Amino acid sequence: MLRRSLVLAALLVALVAATVCSLAFGAVKLPFSEVVDILFGNGGSEAQRQIVETLRLPRTVEALVVGAALSVAGAVLQGALGNPLASPDVIGVTGGAGFGAILIIILLPGSIALLPLAALAFGLLAAALVFVFAWSGRNRGSTGKVILAGIAMLSLFTAGTTGLLAAFPERAPSAIFFIAGGLTSSGWEEIETIWPYFAVGFVFALFLIRPLDRLALGDDVAASLGSRPQLIRLGAGIAAALLAAASAAIAGLLGFLGLVVPHVVRMAGGTSSNTYVIPVSAIGGAALLAAGDTLARTLRAPIEMPVGPFMVVLGVPLFLWLLRKAV
Amino acid sequence: MAPQAEEGGSRGRPQRTHGPMGVAEGPLGTPSAPALLEAHGVEVEIGGTAILRGADLLVRSGELVAIVGPNGAGKSTLVRAVSGLQRPSGGDVRWSGCPLGDLRGRELARLRAFVPQRMPVPAGISVREAVTIGRSSQLRPLSRLTGADRDGVDAAMDRAGVGRFAARALTTLSGGELQRVQVAIGLAQEAPLLIADEPTSQLDLGATIGVATLLRELVDGGLTALVVVHDLALAAAVADRAVIVAEGRTVATGIPAEVLSAERLAQTWGADARLTEHDGRTALHVAWLGSKGVRAP
Repeated sequence: MLRRSLVLAALLVALVAATVCSLAFGAVKLPFSEVVDILFGNGGSEAQRQIVETLRLPRTVEALVVGAALSVAGAVLQGALGNPLASPDVIGVTGGAGFGAILIIILLPGSIALLPLAALAFGLLAAALVFVFAWSGRNRGSTGKVILAGIAMLSLFTAGTTGLLAAFPERAPSAIFFIAGGLTSSGWEEIETIWPYFAVGFVFALFLIRPLDRLALGDDVAASLGSRPQLIRLGAGIAAALLAAASAAIAGLLGFLGLVVPHVVRMAGGTSSNTYVIPVSAIGGAALLAAGDTLARTLRAPIEMPVGPFMVVLGVPLFLWLLRKAV
Repeated sequence: MAPQAEEGGSRGRPQRTHGPMGVAEGPLGTPSAPALLEAHGVEVEIGGTAILRGADLLVRSGELVAIVGPNGAGKSTLVRAVSGLQRPSGGDVRWSGCPLGDLRGRELARLRAFVPQRMPVPAGISVREAVTIGRSSQLRPLSRLTGADRDGVDAAMDRAGVGRFAARALTTLSGGELQRVQVAIGLAQEAPLLIADEPTSQLDLGATIGVATLLRELVDGGLTALVVVHDLALAAAVADRAVIVAEGRTVATGIPAEVLSAERLAQTWGADARLTEHDGRTALHVAWLGSKGVRAP
């Protein structure tokens, strides 16, 4: 219990630190005290307030929400499918969202404002197709069927994306930022449109915590305890699809977070109880993405780089270190 | 039409609660005890193949019923079907008089606990956490564990004899310890009937004795149990009644010593065998090499 509490405390400290750094650092560096004063509405110059309130705060909120959402999506899917390799990729969401976004970037560059909605719509479409195929015929809703249908759908949409990029190579560079995964300082508009999908996904995930713990002891024990294993998997798929598609709409393809953060939490906390793993993954994912995004836009400021590669640089050494120590 | 199951003498007479084979000791499990579970003509098809073709089952409060039968007879399918884990394609299953189809998952979880043959062993889950998950059937979706729930978890662990290793991870347990934890998870449900599917099939002799004794003690303490057992001598030693299932049907039910006659063993298992009991010990004497009998020296 002590170990779990220490990990939780460390992640909460990291979350606060990453949030403050995300608000303070950028092309213009602000003192921490100034940031806190601005947040409480009594400090800073007009320009500083503008930077924090209209540029950095929405971007930080996006980083926190997307980081939490992808990590929860990964934790929920890994629990539901009983597979450590599960991430939003395996239910087709990432492939679908990528295709939707590239479709707009390449075919409708004049309507770039539609990109988040297209990513969301195609991400959910891909997941819906996975569910339709996985939940039909014999042995419906089984882990193997979900994963195989997901991989098939991922391949299909990835092939569509690659095909579009190959057919219009001159427009491919503008797609790189989305594919690599990154946040932009575009104000509150995106999150104002997308937040209901996050909200429903998070609420779903909250209700899935206990059923997923039952599922960890096998379908028979879960059924003995009054749950319906196939329904738990479907609910987990829907929650993960909403969270991952909404994340892709805002931040592009950041598949790594969803795969790795829940594992890091399990290994560091020494438990795979979802009562711990799901909420703590949300905190860890939020901290990691906020920290990664801060690094991505400050290391070569004023040039902003996509956060995806930076997050990998931050997360992979920690993951590999924990993996070495894991039983 | 399913053939009528043959009665092996248990109906209309008191059954023992525990003790030497065939010796009546007490009133539990008598026909006057309420029927927790009644199943008639249960049919199950899996992938177009009929696994159960009209199986019957009656479990009364306070008895330990063993389901025995050859491999592929449908024993596990029968307990899964009556437990609500496998949808029957025909027949009638009632829990305390209520049709199985009318019961929702949480209602069913209060009536029976199902202990599978071997559950997956997730890494990073302790014995206490696993038993607490068993208790979650009593909780509403977002409600927290109360003091009474924690007491319930402790009581389930004590009854199953797992309290002394409550902090250990499931991955570190032996087969016998794990089987006890599975029973503890079932006990945490606080359902009156515990259904166990071959709980001793992967255990050594000592662990088998431990689990068999545990189940018998639980029933003597007021629980009702329905157990799929392969070992006929073990079934005879611990069960109040045996239900013999063959080719998807219930073919006999009654006191183990009576229904597991030499004729029945020959007819159902094709074995030249005889079940004996002496001084609390049961044994199955089998002519392993058939009527030719003895190997050449």
